[in-house]
Amino acid sequence: MQRFYFWPTNPAASIFALWVLSQIFLYAARVPMHRALREVGRLLGGAFRIGARWCRGLAGVASRRDHEMIVEMGKGDTEAKIGREFHRIEGAFAKELARYPDLHRKLDDVVTKVDADFQECATAAPAAPGWTEAVAAVSKMPPNTDGVVRKVLEEIQKSAVAGEKKALQEFREATAKRHKILSSMAPAWKEMQKIATEVARAVSGALEATKRIDGFMTSYEKVRAADKNATRALGWNATQLFVVSLLVMAVALGGAFVNFNLIALPMSELVPSGSRIAGMPVSTVAALVVVLMEIAAGVFAMEMLGITNFFPKLDLVPKSRRRIILVVAVGGLFMLACIEASLAILREQIVESTTALKASLAGVKDHPVAQTAASRIPVIGQAVLGFILPWILAMVAVPLETMISTGGHIVLSAATGLLHGGGMVCRLGGHGMRYLCEAVRHVYDIYIVIPLQIERLVSNGSKPSPVAGVRGQGARP
Amino acid sequence: MNRACFVAAALLAGSCSSGAQYSQAIVALVDVSGTYADQRPEVVNVIRKGVLPRLTPGDTLVVIRIDSESYKKANVEASMTLDVRPSKANAQKLQLASTLEAFSHKQLRSAHTDIRGAMMLGAEYLRESNAGRRTMVIFSDMEEDLPRGVKRDMAADELKGVRVLAMNVKRLGHDNANPTAYRARLAGWEKQLTSHGAREFKVVLEPEKLSDLLDEG
Repeated sequence: MQRFYFWPTNPAASIFALWVLSQIFLYAARVPMHRALREVGRLLGGAFRIGARWCRGLAGVASRRDHEMIVEMGKGDTEAKIGREFHRIEGAFAKELARYPDLHRKLDDVVTKVDADFQECATAAPAAPGWTEAVAAVSKMPPNTDGVVRKVLEEIQKSAVAGEKKALQEFREATAKRHKILSSMAPAWKEMQKIATEVARAVSGALEATKRIDGFMTSYEKVRAADKNATRALGWNATQLFVVSLLVMAVALGGAFVNFNLIALPMSELVPSGSRIAGMPVSTVAALVVVLMEIAAGVFAMEMLGITNFFPKLDLVPKSRRRIILVVAVGGLFMLACIEASLAILREQIVESTTALKASLAGVKDHPVAQTAASRIPVIGQAVLGFILPWILAMVAVPLETMISTGGHIVLSAATGLLHGGGMVCRLGGHGMRYLCEAVRHVYDIYIVIPLQIERLVSNGSKPSPVAGVRGQGARP
Repeated sequence: MNRACFVAAALLAGSCSSGAQYSQAIVALVDVSGTYADQRPEVVNVIRKGVLPRLTPGDTLVVIRIDSESYKKANVEASMTLDVRPSKANAQKLQLASTLEAFSHKQLRSAHTDIRGAMMLGAEYLRESNAGRRTMVIFSDMEEDLPRGVKRDMAADELKGVRVLAMNVKRLGHDNANPTAYRARLAGWEKQLTSHGAREFKVVLEPEKLSDLLDEG
């Protein structure tokens, strides 16, 4: 500062002279300075506005993409669900309809049998024609003293009594026979009832499936029409799935870490190489590869079971080959699980040996820790853990697929949010810059307030300020 | 496509490296001259408890005796590079421990103390190991006393990249009378060794700290 002093021995006078000079200079340069500040404000505000517009545009693009993706995903999901339902119906119908001719035949047989039994029930022994009337006429005849007539009448009475007895006997026999036929009809009725129940169950199943398909079709139509509520629901569903998959993946990552640590040490016995890859010992890399291979085998197994759909090409593979791949994947997984179990046992042996060595080097004769470790429990526990973890890791394929499929929506949503935020910041920045330049202009005027007041007094308010126009075009709130 | 494969293969090959540069090589120089000769059992104990358990597969340990003329191969009491298999490495450690035990019971006492000769021999072993971390642990009173006619001029980069730890430095009779002389002796060693490329010179008083210092590398 002292360099600018006119009279270094008299700083006060120097500062005063500098102040006067600055007042004169700034007053003279007031108009161009105001214009310059206004232009700078406009330039910065414009730049921020362009930035905000760009952010808004990109956010719109990302949002549209997200919407399209969500709609496509929803369509795909609903189509898959409908397809699955149709597949189920097809299966059920194929099963039920295949059984239907049998059922129908059975039902026909039963009905025929029941009909025949019923017909048989209806048949009764016919009574002798006119016999009853003849007996009634004889019984109405007046009593006669003639012995021959009486004898004849008595014989007729005897015959009538015998006939009645015989008729009663026949009636009883016929009734018993009918009852027997009716009782033999009971199983047929039961069978008919059972068949009818089966048919009813099949029909109700089909009706339920139809209802489900109807629901899916409704949502499919909504998705196709890009209904806002349906799209929002799909988006929320995708977010929910992503969060759940992320949690499961985090847990699986923990499992993979445990698995890796379980086999990393014993792997150095199997892969005895001093070389390193990217700073990591080959044995560690081998352990990592084993863990990744388990995940890969799991992915293929899940793919072949039809649970995931990572590789659409594998859908085209015939069933027999799919079965072969499944067997290979599951077999590989089993082998890896067995290897891990054995490595876990080896690990325990190495740890025991190292503990014993350390104790020996330290000169400790009895090492209780090593004795505790010699118990079978840790060995069995580690072996079981080594066997189970690969199977658990194999299931990572399901959350992995969900995370990948819903990840796009999450990324686009996050990008949209960030871009909206960026746009907002740019807009605020634009306003801020404009007001800042305006504030600088006011500060400028405050600094040269004395010359300005002098100018005002001199002009006495008659002559407009040369920067009035400039001031008028100032800040745009 | 071929070019991409070639680049990927080159990257993979480039990322592969020998494990030696990640391993550790330790040279322990054990003084058997004069007043320090009776310290051997204690020194061996420190190596057994503080150095051996810290070694991992691939590491190297060389034990060199400091006597009247130390720059001889016969002064190497034990030399071992641990196998990469942990089980074999453990067996090697046990074997080395028994070798050191035998060394501690040997009747050895030299008239002179050739520290720099042992250092030069140890530096050669360290260079040969090609290890990433090289440490020289000296168990001595750090009072050099060369026999007549013996010359020890170390090269400027003799101890390049080597960390020197002066362990269990025994104070001599006249050190008690004048501690400044003891300190000046150690400062002189520090100056000399760092001028020959040593990465660091550190005096360690507590044997328990040696393990931590070795881990720090």
